[in-house]
Amino acid sequence: MSSDPGLSPAPPGAGTAVLEQAFDRDSLYALRAAVAAHAAAAGLPRQQVYDVVTAAHELAANAVRHGAGHGQLRLWADGQLLHCQVSDDGQDGQDAPGPGVAWSREHGHGLWIIDQVADHVTLDHDNGGTTVIITFTISRPS
Amino acid sequence: MAADASAQITELTMDDHACLTFGEAEELFDLTAAFVRDGLDAGLKVMWLSDAGPGPAVAELTRRGIAVEPAMAAGQMTADGCEGRLLAGQVFSAEAAIGWLTRQLASSCELGFPGLRIAVDMSWALRPVTGIEHLPEFEEGIATVLAGTTASVLCQYDRDRFDPVTLASVAAFHTRSVAAATYHADPVLRICRQYAPPGIRIAGEIDYQAEEALALALAEAVRLDGDITLNMAPLAFIDGFCTRMVADTAKMLSSSRTVILQCQPEVAAGFARLGLGGLSGVRLVTIGEQ
Repeated sequence: MSSDPGLSPAPPGAGTAVLEQAFDRDSLYALRAAVAAHAAAAGLPRQQVYDVVTAAHELAANAVRHGAGHGQLRLWADGQLLHCQVSDDGQDGQDAPGPGVAWSREHGHGLWIIDQVADHVTLDHDNGGTTVIITFTISRPS
Repeated sequence: MAADASAQITELTMDDHACLTFGEAEELFDLTAAFVRDGLDAGLKVMWLSDAGPGPAVAELTRRGIAVEPAMAAGQMTADGCEGRLLAGQVFSAEAAIGWLTRQLASSCELGFPGLRIAVDMSWALRPVTGIEHLPEFEEGIATVLAGTTASVLCQYDRDRFDPVTLASVAAFHTRSVAAATYHADPVLRICRQYAPPGIRIAGEIDYQAEEALALALAEAVRLDGDITLNMAPLAFIDGFCTRMVADTAKMLSSSRTVILQCQPEVAAGFARLGLGGLSGVRLVTIGEQ
């Protein structure tokens, strides 16, 4: 993960929104399909499309399993950057372990994977829920 | 005798008249490869009447590690279509087909083989063929011919293309029903046993919600002898949870045998991140590599 302030996400609405979709446990497949289609349409190469899908899935699955059980995903492009925001509004999931456990960066787990594939990650957690924004620098074919 | 016993393809024995149902070509080729492999290993004469034609049939078996061409050169194996064997042009005669089968039994005995295995892809029966109404008569005749012999016949039916009435009518004449062991199957994900080479096959997209099925499949794969192939070539997505499950199994086994992970480059990247790329005892094979 980079801490380059240049990669900090523009506020939602600053770029071109390409996808806004709600999700829950039963719609993760549809969410992945939508993210893949829109990331590809934004010009990302195949490996990076897969990375975006992976990161989006891990965030959404975390919200389903450890957060509210459902959430909202937003994907938008801003120049050479693609941002993906996943938010949920609570900690009342069936097996919610508390924010410290759900958002740990244990090797091989969700946030660790996201750190490996995304260029920038911001995580905002409070009593109102959790919002994560991940940013990818779009790799254009040379 | 009615087909009242489900069996694994590797459990078939002498004089079995088995009915294999398959849902996709990969499943057909995999199960046939195991049938052929076990027959060749036992020194039997092996024949496959394939709907794919001899060339593709040999290629598919070879791709699964079966030494088909040496066996064919030695006269132990044949791969042919049904024309001239079960069919004469677009005409099917149960009597003629049974006559052909009887001659193959006699020929394999004369050549000194201890037994005969014949796999027959029945997809020809889906085409406009005169006399197809005699198919049940043919299946019944096979059971009679095989009684007391050291031969076995594996009839292969595409379960999606044959109607349920036809499948039910011919199933009654088989001694065994055979299908790939399936751990999970829905429109998004399929996890099933792979027989040649031994292991499991995962197709579609998999995430943590399939934990139970994946755990069962991996546990059964661990119990197989020898090297294990985890065929994930048809897998379009795997999440971090399932990546860790597969990786942990591979790491556990890597000290005593070889685990082969076949997958697309994007999926392989996830295993490489967990350190499987350079691990002794693990072969991470990206599709397209040799």
